[in-house]
Amino acid sequence: MNTSKRWLPRTFKVALLTLLLLWTLIPICWMVLSSFKANDIITASTPRVLFSPTLEHYASLFSSGNSLWPYLLNSLFIAGTSTLIAVVLGCMAGFGLSRIRIKGKQHLAFWIISTRMAPIAAVIVPLYLLFRYLYLLDTHAGLIVAYLSFNLPFAIWLMTAFFDDLPPDLEEAAMIDGATKLQAFRYVVLPLMTPGLVTTTILCFIFAWNDYAFAQTFSGPNTQTIPIAAAQLLTQTGIDWGKLLAIGTIVVCPMAIAGLLVKRWLVQGLTLGAVK
Amino acid sequence: MATLQLNNIVKNFGSTQVIKGVDLEVKDREFVVFVGPSGCGKSTLMRMIAGLESTTSGDIFIDGERINDVGPADRRLAMVFQSYALYPHMTVEDNMGFNLRLAKVPKAERREKVLAAARILQLEELLDRKPRALSGGQRQRVAIGRAIVRNPSIFLFDEPLSNLDAALRVQMRIELARLHEELDATMIYVTHDQIEAMTMADKIVVLQGGVVEQIGSPMALYHHPANRFVAGFIGSPKMNFLDVEIRGADAEGVDVVLPGGDCRVPVKGDGVSTGDKLTLGVRPEHLKIDDQGPLTGKILVIERLGGTTSLYLENGDSQWILVADGDVTSRVHDQIRFSFDPACAHLFKRNGEALLHRHCHPLVASESK
Repeated sequence: MNTSKRWLPRTFKVALLTLLLLWTLIPICWMVLSSFKANDIITASTPRVLFSPTLEHYASLFSSGNSLWPYLLNSLFIAGTSTLIAVVLGCMAGFGLSRIRIKGKQHLAFWIISTRMAPIAAVIVPLYLLFRYLYLLDTHAGLIVAYLSFNLPFAIWLMTAFFDDLPPDLEEAAMIDGATKLQAFRYVVLPLMTPGLVTTTILCFIFAWNDYAFAQTFSGPNTQTIPIAAAQLLTQTGIDWGKLLAIGTIVVCPMAIAGLLVKRWLVQGLTLGAVK
Repeated sequence: MATLQLNNIVKNFGSTQVIKGVDLEVKDREFVVFVGPSGCGKSTLMRMIAGLESTTSGDIFIDGERINDVGPADRRLAMVFQSYALYPHMTVEDNMGFNLRLAKVPKAERREKVLAAARILQLEELLDRKPRALSGGQRQRVAIGRAIVRNPSIFLFDEPLSNLDAALRVQMRIELARLHEELDATMIYVTHDQIEAMTMADKIVVLQGGVVEQIGSPMALYHHPANRFVAGFIGSPKMNFLDVEIRGADAEGVDVVLPGGDCRVPVKGDGVSTGDKLTLGVRPEHLKIDDQGPLTGKILVIERLGGTTSLYLENGDSQWILVADGDVTSRVHDQIRFSFDPACAHLFKRNGEALLHRHCHPLVASESK
């Protein structure tokens, strides 16, 4: 009785998840697959699943006059640095915010995360003006600051939630064991924060790595990132689909692989506080 | 090995005063238990001694040295937390040796000291395990072991047994008492369980609402409670209370009006006059079934524990618990008469304060010698 009752919704669940999975995965798989196709096969009116793969698009991305290398390095440097700063500061601020006893702490925490709620478009113009006065346009620092303006509040908020989950008893025990506050943080709190740090790092990096709007507005010839490189392939004379798909693959794959590697922590991080 | 002194300790959280001026002296090698209902401030008081909470005013002395401004790391204390607070990412050995590692003690010496503590608590087999691979009782032992390795001047225990099941709690209680004997250390122990307090303490501090209600040995608190709160809190089952009228009083005793005849309670009746309303308190184990007794009641419930039987009685508005022999033959709904030895009864004024007994209980008298 009972099993048959549960059996029906289970099929339904599986079907729904399958549908969702196909919806998400097919475009990505098609992109990756097509990046290995010759140009005429990509644009052929009958889609082809079987073909002889070619690396010509990747080769031309890194060899032609307009090589992808500087874009890739810019992306890595800018996303990496802004993520590092966001995670380090977010970790310290989150710890402080979680442990401090002040009036209106909830409001403070909400105010911090609320700065992340503004749509990117709303801050682009003010930031542009600021950056112009500060000579930050077309600099790595400018983009790093721009990403920080979104990633830092997010990192603080997320890390605060992680620290809230860690009983203060542990630090207190360490302090009674003879540790200074910093030693307690270093030896006891930080090692237990791995899931939080990994989750925050990945999510911050994804935001900076994928961003197009900030990069389009604030970058110049020296600081363009991969998404800009992709956009440059959409020209008035035509779209170089092969290269575009190859860039897309280069952007998506590292994130997907990193996500899979740290899945255990990421799930724990994303479901934080959901189950006690 | 150390003494501890608290002088007029006050603690405010915002505008709420949670500790309202506590004075306490803990002697060297004494086992002191802070007991009281939840929210009475006992844990806060311990955390202030540990240095985890600042004091709003008042002074704390360890071995005569004022330590208000000394950080928890430098107070030479060890604390066992209610949650055990074992470092989840470290093995048992690393947990126990963490304070030595911080003090930069060489590895070989560290291992030696950890092993010595592990031997006392029979933890040798578990040294390589992580806390999550331990049972509740084992975790508890590791937490105590960590405290022993620190070789502290004072041990602090914050409700250490409350997460254990009943059988294990009894076992750990005995083990802690043995440990106190073996380590010959000053220990302060917080609990809401008056049985833990009675069984382990040299000295009990009863707290309520941030105020010390009474400080004394378990027997002093049992036989000579200072007020109605302590009388009701210490002892199990709880003391029976009955509002009574006074027929007469002098320095030798107080005459109390009871439904079935007067009775003279041997307490100092100074300041009490005829017609006053007082509260009579008699412990359930001091009530006895007595066909000539001055009190009556109908049995509502009988709890047979084998060795003893608890009878829950009702008479109008008043409820009584009477602890009788295990083989008492009474049945539910029976109407019984009962009495008590007036020497074992207590009288409390309207403000809860107890009238002093004329004679000190022999057990209590022998303690103070």
